[in-house]
Amino acid sequence: MMLPLAAFTVAFGLAFGVTAVQRGLADWEAMLMSLFVFAAPSQFAALDLWHSPLPLLALAATTLAIHTRHMLMSAALYPWLKPLPRRQQLSMVILLTDSNWAMALGEYHRGERNLGVLLGGGIALWSAWVIGTAVGLAFGGGITEPERFGLDVIMLCFLLMIVVGGNPRAVMALPWLAAALSALMAYWWLPPYLHVMVGAMTGGLITMMLPGRWFGADS
Amino acid sequence: MDTPLVWQSVLGISLMVVIAYGSRVLGLLIMSNVPLGPRVRRFVDAMSSSVLIAVITPMIVHGDGGVRLAAIAAGAVAVGFRSPLASIAVGMMCAALWRLWLA
Repeated sequence: MMLPLAAFTVAFGLAFGVTAVQRGLADWEAMLMSLFVFAAPSQFAALDLWHSPLPLLALAATTLAIHTRHMLMSAALYPWLKPLPRRQQLSMVILLTDSNWAMALGEYHRGERNLGVLLGGGIALWSAWVIGTAVGLAFGGGITEPERFGLDVIMLCFLLMIVVGGNPRAVMALPWLAAALSALMAYWWLPPYLHVMVGAMTGGLITMMLPGRWFGADS
Repeated sequence: MDTPLVWQSVLGISLMVVIAYGSRVLGLLIMSNVPLGPRVRRFVDAMSSSVLIAVITPMIVHGDGGVRLAAIAAGAVAVGFRSPLASIAVGMMCAALWRLWLA
């Protein structure tokens, strides 16, 4: 279960490394991100903002909006981590990311109580991500015309895949459409980088205004 | 690379690290005090997918035909086959072929 996931992650890391080089990031910048941020969607989104001078506020806001998801994920793990002392609880979630969370939660629902699944999975994915990034950085610089090989669409496809590949629900069509339209209008008419925040807030607010029963019993 | 630029990057990455780890921890801290209600959960959930949509929409609208074709193909593969790597591979292939033949 862990091995194919780690292999995927090496490939994603590779894609990130190649894209980072093409976007003009220094090797150490990309490596630092992969080592410590360890979150593919926000790292890819950050590449889109990586111009000089760095729009720090937009970078922070985008990362924050993407990462609120992880807040929900760690919240869902709380019953499992509850017996541990606080310090261990906090260190267990350092390497929390989408795929090992989903896997660990699945194991927990099947009755697994050993936290090694969570931590071990995290360590495996983290190593795979870092190795992939290093390989991507090493070979990405040698490519002179990235568009010819479609390398410039990796980021787009990756983010798109995260949105629609997970578990798309029909009820999200309206919020997502609103998010896309408002982001586009903000992109055209508002100061740079605001479109990400505008789209995120619109999607969130519209979802909150929809009737709760549309989301079924699980929400 | 200039020193100010280096510090700027370090600051930017540090911000990302703090936010990334902070959000992982915050969920635990909140849950140990007050459980989140369904409306808040829905808001946060929708916001974190909408932010990605907000990032990619201008890329698609302002991209060339290759980018648009890649987006359609990658989206279709992601929905139909649930395979992330296949989705990215098909997207890249579409963009590359479009530019080879039509651009």
